[in-house]
Amino acid sequence: MMRSLVKYPLFLCLFFAVSCDTAYQTSTVQYKDYRISSKQPASNELSSMLKPYADSVNKSMNDVVAVAGITLEKKQPEGTLGNLLADAMMAKAKEKFNTPVDAVFMNSGGIRLPSIPQGNITRGKIFELSPFDNQIVLLKLNGKILQQFLDTTAIRGGWPTAGCVYQLKNKKAVNITIGGQPLNENAEYTIGMVDYVANGGDNCDMLKPIPQQSRGYLFRDAIIEYFADAQKQGKALVSKIENRVSYAE
Amino acid sequence: MQSRRKFLQQTALAAGSLLASNSVFAGWGETNDVTKLTILHTNDVHSRLEPFPMDGGRNQGLGGVAARAELIKTIRSEEDRVIAAYNNENGDNSSSGVLLLDAGDIFQGTPFFNIYKGEPEIKAMSAMKYDAATIGNHDFDAGLENLAIQLQNASFPLLVCNYDLSNTPMENKTLPYKIFRKGKLKIGVTGVGIDPKGLVPDNLAGNTKYLDPVANLNRMANKLKREEGCDMVICLSHLGYKYKENPNKMCDIVLAKESDYVDLIIGGHTHTFMDEPDVQKNKTGSDVIINQVGWAGIMLGRLDFEFSKMQKKNLTKSHTVTVGKKTIE
Repeated sequence: MMRSLVKYPLFLCLFFAVSCDTAYQTSTVQYKDYRISSKQPASNELSSMLKPYADSVNKSMNDVVAVAGITLEKKQPEGTLGNLLADAMMAKAKEKFNTPVDAVFMNSGGIRLPSIPQGNITRGKIFELSPFDNQIVLLKLNGKILQQFLDTTAIRGGWPTAGCVYQLKNKKAVNITIGGQPLNENAEYTIGMVDYVANGGDNCDMLKPIPQQSRGYLFRDAIIEYFADAQKQGKALVSKIENRVSYAE
Repeated sequence: MQSRRKFLQQTALAAGSLLASNSVFAGWGETNDVTKLTILHTNDVHSRLEPFPMDGGRNQGLGGVAARAELIKTIRSEEDRVIAAYNNENGDNSSSGVLLLDAGDIFQGTPFFNIYKGEPEIKAMSAMKYDAATIGNHDFDAGLENLAIQLQNASFPLLVCNYDLSNTPMENKTLPYKIFRKGKLKIGVTGVGIDPKGLVPDNLAGNTKYLDPVANLNRMANKLKREEGCDMVICLSHLGYKYKENPNKMCDIVLAKESDYVDLIIGGHTHTFMDEPDVQKNKTGSDVIINQVGWAGIMLGRLDFEFSKMQKKNLTKSHTVTVGKKTIE
């Protein structure tokens, strides 16, 4: 209420020839986006504040885990980065749970970098790619629930998968095959995913009641180990578009 | 408060000549009725404390708190010059012409967060003298207890008016709004958070209750403008700019259209790089500006508002805001 009590000098009031009970309102706005870059001057205060943290992070995060043979890209409905990560989830889920897995899916939003450039991949880069402490879990899903789940992924633009091929049509999943066989509504499938999705994340409410099998195995650790396996074999990481997820004609 | 009143009286007179000499206001008919506020803003910085590494990626070398802090310091010193002139004449040094705001998702995205759980992020924002921020869904990622612990290092409040955090570790650790006095202006800032359901794992959201953003924002904006006499109401929003696949889903555009007394929405969540601020009409036909600057601290947004004097009795009348050209450096 302070402002309404402010009495401007008399002549100003006369100038406006109205009540002194005034306020301000926005009339115009100009805008600008500044691009922030390491080429610009840096604040000494912030640099020294950050240094102890950065030294420690970089010490543990700068080791090269693997080499990307191509630039891997996150794309929907299907991208090379998503396919590689889905393959990593499939391979490591089978290994850790020591059981056949029919298909794995990962939420597209869980891939937190738009791309991985060709060249060395550091441990830190994998943390940026998959920063969440999400575990891989296995769920037994019948064909009906799997269809509902895939329809949800269709609304969200298609998710990376290994073991499943499907198409998107009018925000529904169609022409679905699992392990090369058409989806059977009455069959039961072993499906791998991260616990975030299995717990109903990204609107996958239909999965919430389904029991989860867990080994406390982080998806990020699966990626690191899968990448390190390739490195040990002297292989650069590559991946291609295989029409795992596509738009129906 | 006497000195403040005197300050306002004197600056009302001083403003005309000072502002007239500022090129920003050249060409304005009633220069002594105009005042100015600079808003700097970020969103979804996601623990990007250091620039993206030089690895050939599309964002290499971009972002980083050290460069952002230096730029903010430069802008503040420039913008504070006009105000400083008032202050020198009036023996008052409490005013500043810049507000620095963040729209949430401070946390998660680089190993800094995996290791330190947000400590350097909050310390960096405090060192940059952020005025306020709101809560993003990823600020829950190491738990609400962790958020409460990290906020002990914060020199700025988290503002949110549509989360009930009773019976959580964040109870009484947020504010529904804060009023900033910037020169002659009184600016009310509040915040709205996104529905955590299906987005934040249940074990992390805990007892957080999500309340209707429209009703709560309007209640808050009405209070700020009509009761507290704010000249401008800013909402920090983590609802997301818009959702192509579901245009009716709650987002900044829906919020703006259904709002009242809100002048500006600083958005986040959808990581949207906007070519220019969006302008929507609210439910009484007034303009609401929406802006968002992508993610990762790649950009610092700047909005320079000019204000004109108006009669309080016209508060309920709709008013338009002209979006000018890009500010030239």
